[in-house]
Amino acid sequence: METQARLDNLQWSLATVVFIIVSSIALGFLVQFLARLRGLSKAEQRKLFWGVTFAGPWIVGFFIFVLGPALASLYYSFTDYQIGDSINWIGVENYRNLLSGEGRVGRNFNKAMLNSFYYAVIGVPLQITAALIMAMLLNNEIKGIRIFRMIFYMPVILAGGPAILLAWRYMLGSNGGFVNESMRKMAGFFFVFDYIYRGFIFVVEALNGFYTGIVHEDPVGPLKYTIPAAIAALLFLSLVRGEWGEGKRLLAWRGAQILGIIVFYSLLAQGLIAEPVDPSWIYVVGIVALGMIVLLARQGKREVRYVQWGALVGLVVIALAALNHVEFEFTSVAFTRYLIPLALVATAVGGSLIATWDRHLIQIITATIVILSVILFVRLIPGQLDDGRLNVFTEYLTFGSTLDTTTDQDYLEKVYPVASMSPFWIYGLVIAVLIGVALLDETYARARRYLATGALIFFALFAIGSFLDARTYFKAFEEIATAAGKPVYHFALFRQAIAAFPGSDRVPLWMNSELWSKPSAILITMWSSGAGMLIFLAALKGVPQSMYEAAEVDGATASQRFFKITLPMISPAMFYNIVIGVIAALQTFEIVYILQTPLTRDSLQSAAFLLYTRTFSELHIGEGAAMSWILVVIILTLTVLQFRFSRSWVHYEA
Amino acid sequence: MKRILFLALAALMTFAMVIPASTPATAQDAETLEIYITGLTEDTMNWFNDVAFPAFQETHPDVELEILTGGWGDFDVTVAGWITTGEGPDIIYLGSEYAATYGTLLYDLDPFFADWEEWDQYLPTAVDTVSFDGHIRGLPLLMSPRPIFYRADLMKGDVPLTFTDALAFAEANTVIADNAAAQWAFMDIGGDLFDAQEFIGYVWSAGGELYYEDGTSAFDSDAVAEAMQYMYDRRRIMRPTEDTAGLPPIEGTALESGIVISGIFPMWAVPATSDEIWNNVTIAPYPAGANGEPLVQVFIDWLSVPAYVDDPELAVDFLKFLGSQEMAIELKNVAGFTPTRQDAWDQIMESDPVWAQLLNLTVEYGRSFSDIRASAELRPLIFEQMTLFLTDQQSLEDTQMYMKEEYDAILEENGYLD
Repeated sequence: METQARLDNLQWSLATVVFIIVSSIALGFLVQFLARLRGLSKAEQRKLFWGVTFAGPWIVGFFIFVLGPALASLYYSFTDYQIGDSINWIGVENYRNLLSGEGRVGRNFNKAMLNSFYYAVIGVPLQITAALIMAMLLNNEIKGIRIFRMIFYMPVILAGGPAILLAWRYMLGSNGGFVNESMRKMAGFFFVFDYIYRGFIFVVEALNGFYTGIVHEDPVGPLKYTIPAAIAALLFLSLVRGEWGEGKRLLAWRGAQILGIIVFYSLLAQGLIAEPVDPSWIYVVGIVALGMIVLLARQGKREVRYVQWGALVGLVVIALAALNHVEFEFTSVAFTRYLIPLALVATAVGGSLIATWDRHLIQIITATIVILSVILFVRLIPGQLDDGRLNVFTEYLTFGSTLDTTTDQDYLEKVYPVASMSPFWIYGLVIAVLIGVALLDETYARARRYLATGALIFFALFAIGSFLDARTYFKAFEEIATAAGKPVYHFALFRQAIAAFPGSDRVPLWMNSELWSKPSAILITMWSSGAGMLIFLAALKGVPQSMYEAAEVDGATASQRFFKITLPMISPAMFYNIVIGVIAALQTFEIVYILQTPLTRDSLQSAAFLLYTRTFSELHIGEGAAMSWILVVIILTLTVLQFRFSRSWVHYEA
Repeated sequence: MKRILFLALAALMTFAMVIPASTPATAQDAETLEIYITGLTEDTMNWFNDVAFPAFQETHPDVELEILTGGWGDFDVTVAGWITTGEGPDIIYLGSEYAATYGTLLYDLDPFFADWEEWDQYLPTAVDTVSFDGHIRGLPLLMSPRPIFYRADLMKGDVPLTFTDALAFAEANTVIADNAAAQWAFMDIGGDLFDAQEFIGYVWSAGGELYYEDGTSAFDSDAVAEAMQYMYDRRRIMRPTEDTAGLPPIEGTALESGIVISGIFPMWAVPATSDEIWNNVTIAPYPAGANGEPLVQVFIDWLSVPAYVDDPELAVDFLKFLGSQEMAIELKNVAGFTPTRQDAWDQIMESDPVWAQLLNLTVEYGRSFSDIRASAELRPLIFEQMTLFLTDQQSLEDTQMYMKEEYDAILEENGYLD
């Protein structure tokens, strides 16, 4: 029996080796054949043959083990594949369910994505700060420095291990755990530390309580306007302060681009979940595509062809998606709603493909963009900007309220979110003004200043006004619950956290509370940030000492030397750590798997963990595959954006 | 050069085709039976190889047997992989609630077990566990009763058998000092005062069920509300606010610690039954609600035959062999698997008073953790909704409503509802 098993293994191993050799050589011949067809010289053909043959094992492995499964998973994402059932093609239904955030799976996916973003947005900066501090400490030439470096690096090897994660569970025990006991002792010795410690508990619990409310989709009321308005106010404050320069123009562009991408993806997700596809999407695709075509064509870039063909493919997809759901008759309203914009955009894009580029063509396409924008705007007004929804501007600029009644919980939870203006209009306004500021050159310096200052005042007043209204909104829940003699469930954890400043007997409940589970996970990743530390250490070693000496001679302070010399010089290392850190944070898995308890499972659950459970525990392969592809798109987009924006702050030459 | 290369290529291709086909004739004649059981020790593996398999081969000389084992960590993935690809062992070990998960993906073994008279020896609750859709899908292998253990020497008051008494018991036996627990009247398996399996246990002991007769979820029933309220009230006694810290670290087992007065523990998390501490331990069923009966949850692990198996008859022959009285007793001695057939209990009853008590409670109050439909999706749903309720983020009514709505949707999606 055992001998037979060994024989089987041996035969399969041999057959695998033979297969790899044969397929590699076959691949070599194929490439050589293609080279001959292209008329390459004999020497070139020989070179290609041997090159591809030796790279063959990797290429074959890539096709079999990477590309094959990836394509299979892409196919499954469009099916209802569930183990034990037949596989049926269901189009974008899985994506629609996940992106709509509706139903248990959609809601969980939303939560998991928000948790993953938390790990990326809060965790990665803290991890990088910890790594940089450690690297700077270890960059000193003291006795036994190699031992210290080893000690600081050790957690990288240990951190993912279940035993260490279980040890952390003990260390983070709420009662008698090493971390809490140490903090308690220190608080007992120094009363100042006691206040700092309790303040820390208050801040962490309040912030996480609020975040938990957002994750649980508790309605935020007018706060939905405060956030974009506050972001805009901060951006315009940076633009207004000091002298105008290239850096500020870039800031305005980058701000518009980042907000634009967020809005575009959110709208795209909403467009995907609409059934049938909203005809507005034809206008959006048309405006974006034609805009890009004009910009690229003016710069004479070859990429314009990709956009043109991409736009045509997009239009065909939308047309097919619409055909799938709408009953078409040549006289029907539905037909004209789709046909007119499709024809308009297709003609413009198709024309740009055929015609020669000159001033007239640009003018025609620009006019088409303007017409499409006006139609789109008019289309969106019903249900978006009518029925008094626009009064948010007048009310908030005068610190008024947009709430009709504050004593009806149904109104607060169901009516107000629908009957009020979408915050996307605020984002759109911010983007438009940012682009305006960025486009105005030195000829219009004064107009630019007025525009930026006006925007600062407008958005600051709007942020304050909406914040005051949000307070009324939040208080209304409390008043309604008090009148009914019931607890307040709206942003419950946030309310519990801010009800009173923590007493001296309070400790963080690291592993037992939704408020502390994510900070616990981040604390462990900070502890194991030795890999980033090594990268920083190598970069720090590369900073020439002469630069510091010259700066010292010029009278630069320590902080000036850090911010003006060290940080720019190690920016490539910083960039690498951020890219790797964000990808790792969005793929957080082991920590969630081991640290979760029934009560913290939801608050810890990451996107990677959810797709694992949906696929392998709940056996819904189709939905699991769709989750993984959404995650791929998000990670790719974030990585591309980081590379794009890195040009302004990453310096590769000393 | 190129001609040589071509020749070599042709030779290699022939070689590649010939090798996998050249399996020795003797191996092809013998039928192989692979058995997968999770978490086996080396001693148990050896017992299978040295004792059980040779004994089975006496009646099946042409059958080669192989025992495989693995951990619980990757259990779901491993089994899902086998079921998906249709390539895996002939007999697969499954947990208590898996009959409904894999259902029709497992063989209906009724025809093969039709003449097997030994089913009468098995606990009825064990037979329920291995049944799906009214048909036998495997053989019960071992059981693990899960009652509540009480430290009789430390507790104030009597063992509670109703929810009301259990709350009074919690009040009397819990000590909170400096916003932290110094002693808990009760501890559940996870130590977090909430567990999904325990919740289902209380629904049953409150007289409720998870499903109505039409197959829809019964999460909106009064019994479920009673169980939820009991768990909430008990939590508020032992953790007056959500910022109250839990117990200090426990060295050794919770039962020995002296700061836990009662609790639900698996048998691997309590001292050996020969330990003196058992003189001070009382074992009792879960308390009951107003219209329910106390109960002991019983977890039964079993062996199934997946639908992809070529020769289910041979697999069932092995199950019958392993399920015999003699083998059941041997497995208890070698691997500590508590038998689910009652005629294998005599030795345990005589030699181990703790297990004797456990088995008697199982017979009197036992209810197997089975017929949990779409269990993999139900568990996170209970975690999510009960967390909101227990931590004051959602009302009892809303929690019941969401659990009912969403579980019904899950049942429909998975084909349990028409």
